[in-house]
Amino acid sequence: MACPYLAYRTQAGDAQFDEPRAYCTVADRFVQAMRADICNDRYGLAHDEHCEIYLGCADDGGGGTDQRRDRSGGNP
Amino acid sequence: MSYEAFLADEPVIVTAALTGGVHGKEANPNLPETPEEIGQAAAAVEDAGASVVHLHARRPNGERSFETDRFQEIDDAVRRHADDVIVQHSTGGTGAPADVRHLPLRTDPPPEMASLDMGPLNRYDHLTSENSRALIDSLHAEMVDRGIKPELEVFNDGHLNELYGLCERRDLADPVYATLIFGPGTLSRPRPRNLLNAIDSLPDDAAFNTIGFGRHQLPFATMGILFGGHVRVGLEDNVYYRRGELAESNAQLVERVVRVARELGREVASPSQARDLLGLRE
Repeated sequence: MACPYLAYRTQAGDAQFDEPRAYCTVADRFVQAMRADICNDRYGLAHDEHCEIYLGCADDGGGGTDQRRDRSGGNP
Repeated sequence: MSYEAFLADEPVIVTAALTGGVHGKEANPNLPETPEEIGQAAAAVEDAGASVVHLHARRPNGERSFETDRFQEIDDAVRRHADDVIVQHSTGGTGAPADVRHLPLRTDPPPEMASLDMGPLNRYDHLTSENSRALIDSLHAEMVDRGIKPELEVFNDGHLNELYGLCERRDLADPVYATLIFGPGTLSRPRPRNLLNAIDSLPDDAAFNTIGFGRHQLPFATMGILFGGHVRVGLEDNVYYRRGELAESNAQLVERVVRVARELGREVASPSQARDLLGLRE
């Protein structure tokens, strides 16, 4: 299951793309290609094991809440 | 290979790492991601003096792909746009399972070269790209079967030991071609003495290629030229032209290193010369 903080956007700030790209709603930025595989739990990677941003949120008690998911604009 | 190669006027092979698999257009919008963009970039860097293009594949949205079909699309675009450039596929892939790591080797025709990471390196805070010896041997075996020249990527001094281990375990065709990589994290610290030490530590008659990540790209390429090695530049390794100024293209980075080489008295190898130097099949 993909990270609840992952969204796919074509625009944020000054950045604009033709194809929707992986966007971290916690870090408020488009993510690197390699990190997008962690966000999407691909190739055996897992956001709740390998992503320091997600784990930091989990430590703060906010990991994976519906409130966060809603704020992100939803997953693809 | 050493300073003697510089004195002997051996031409320098310039490899352009066009796209990579870590960052993308979010870091520099000029970084090519689609097959068509990569094909056009390959032609531009070849015109600028590169004889090898190091390729990764991406999905339409810029995310990583390891699929043979995607590499095939890219190779087809490169051959459509460029003249004679040597195609080198990456077999790197943090987190990707072993069977997936083999897929870039299976295009038709196979790439003339492919990268082979010599050992583990850390990524982010919770991830390690393992590159076990078993995987290295397995990738090397398939490269031999398909006539692909391995480019041995040495990310730190420990990987030099791994390179020797690989040479003991497997029969590597001459010349052994090692890429010495300098930068942050698990990489060798980017200091000139560390490059010299790495060169001195290579097997006799090995050829070497030099990569400096980020701001170290130009100084390490310059040292690589002077010390008789070959060089890799490109947006995979460095998205800036100078501090605070994004590079306009891969070709811009190649043009600069070609100017440096010529000012230092070293000509740049054509693809044909590069094939001779690396022992590739014509």
